[in-house]
Amino acid sequence: MARAVALLRALGTAYRRDWTALQSLAGNNFFLLTVFFLRQAGIFVYLIMGLVMFFPLSTDPLRKIPASRMALWPLARREWWLLRLASPWINPMTWGLVALAAWGAGRSITVGLWALIAALFAAAFLISSLPLPRGGGMFRRVPSFPGSLDQLVRKNVREILSTLDFYCAAILSVSVLAFRIFARDLPQEALMAMTVLVVGALSSYAQCLFGLDGEGGLSRYRLLPVRGWQLLLAKDAAFLAALIPLLIPVAPVAGFGGALAVLAVGHAPSVGHPREQTRWRFTTGAALGNGLVQMIAMAMTISSIFSSSLWFLAPAAGAWAVSIWWYGRELERAMA
Amino acid sequence: MISCRNLTRRFGDFTAVNALNLEVAAGAICAFLGPNGAGKSTTVKMMTGLLAPTSGEVLVGGLNPAANPLELKRRIGVLPEDLGLFDDLTVEEHLLLTGDIYGVPRHETRARTAQLLHALSLEHGRRTFAAACSHGMRKKTAFAMALLPNPQVLFLDEPFEAIDPVTAKIMRELLQSVARHGVTVFLTSHILSMVERIATQIVMIRKGQMVWNSTVGELPQSLEDHYFDLVETPVVEELEWLGPSRS
Repeated sequence: MARAVALLRALGTAYRRDWTALQSLAGNNFFLLTVFFLRQAGIFVYLIMGLVMFFPLSTDPLRKIPASRMALWPLARREWWLLRLASPWINPMTWGLVALAAWGAGRSITVGLWALIAALFAAAFLISSLPLPRGGGMFRRVPSFPGSLDQLVRKNVREILSTLDFYCAAILSVSVLAFRIFARDLPQEALMAMTVLVVGALSSYAQCLFGLDGEGGLSRYRLLPVRGWQLLLAKDAAFLAALIPLLIPVAPVAGFGGALAVLAVGHAPSVGHPREQTRWRFTTGAALGNGLVQMIAMAMTISSIFSSSLWFLAPAAGAWAVSIWWYGRELERAMA
Repeated sequence: MISCRNLTRRFGDFTAVNALNLEVAAGAICAFLGPNGAGKSTTVKMMTGLLAPTSGEVLVGGLNPAANPLELKRRIGVLPEDLGLFDDLTVEEHLLLTGDIYGVPRHETRARTAQLLHALSLEHGRRTFAAACSHGMRKKTAFAMALLPNPQVLFLDEPFEAIDPVTAKIMRELLQSVARHGVTVFLTSHILSMVERIATQIVMIRKGQMVWNSTVGELPQSLEDHYFDLVETPVVEELEWLGPSRS
């Protein structure tokens, strides 16, 4: 029994560390944008963020132990069962569900909501404990891109697809699409606001473009005979390739301009203050000040293009070009 | 092809490499030997431009890595200590990336990729993401990336560790073949039996200082004995608690 208890303790430590990665939300542009500017009107956005975070948090803690290690440990059957029964309680989501059930006892609406959440949690928990086939699924289907940076762009798109920011932006985009298909026309102001939200949801990633490359990837960059601006171009191309499809239901041209502004400002922290990121979590922005500048530049560019003229795309493109040239040089210096 | 003059690298008070003087001729296979922490990887990093020397100079193919980093990178192939792979690319995509970046025509890249995957027994795992590869597969992928652009100089940091014997033999023969065609190979390794078979030049380093530099033929005794004499003598301690009769 002592073995199982020791394992549960180690598992608890590992899981606690994993949950600290959730603090990333505090440095996320999109979260800060909704908290400071939307406040109570941002409930819809909080719900989306909660939904996006829900699935990665509902995993089976036993998954943290490699299957081969589990098979090698001299655990008796009853110790294994103890682990199986006790490990779900390491996940704070389980305690949250219990608390919600206790609070909602007797309230029929809350019980219904609780049942829905519990069912989603159980589904995510069970799916996460299944030995899923190795294959990469949609990651493998990322298309090729023209030019010599093809594989780098594909890799970068896959990195973006492994952040929660992308799925948050995708839900917002699909919501607008559904509204435009099934309901009446979206007011112009709302369309612009949704464009800001979709680009804003991915803006923190633009501050940490190298955050998911890992040590191996960073050392490979230093070995490749390419210029710094080419590495940034591969990052930016992937960012735009992931974002542009999400902009189609909102305001694509204005959103594209906003994306260029976000990238132009995001190059500085990406190169100057690289910050490691965790997959399947929200991206943690590099600095609050930079995030604020990024959001203002993005909102101004989107609103100018949306409500005035397409010509406002030109300064955004110019700023992006200057930024990629300048921070490309900085990147070469940093890697030397 | 490789020339070091008083090459030195310090990290604070610690001197990782101390006044290294070394010449490696074109077409040589130079084995750079030493215990963990002796300064081997630091030397390779300085030669490949990944780390600036504190003092002294290194020239690779007549190029100073600090002054001509891009031109140097185009001419060398490197198997780095950490392998330098991207989790989000498959084995095959890593090779296609290398061909694209080094300006190898696409059809030639595909042909070389197919040959390398076959030679290194990587065909079955060509569509496996690097994050899901075994350490051996990852090492073979990084080795194939180093070879694909047909470099003038190959820097290989512990190429034979974690490699199965058949692939190790294939890698050895590939390296001997490229060396016969004038490619210079500079490798570090702890597998002395393999080094003895492949190397033409032996360099030993201990605590950052070169303690031996000769051709294989000039070794006064077997490589293993000479290494133990010059670099480190193994001390075997009895672990009293090991054994079925002990608790």
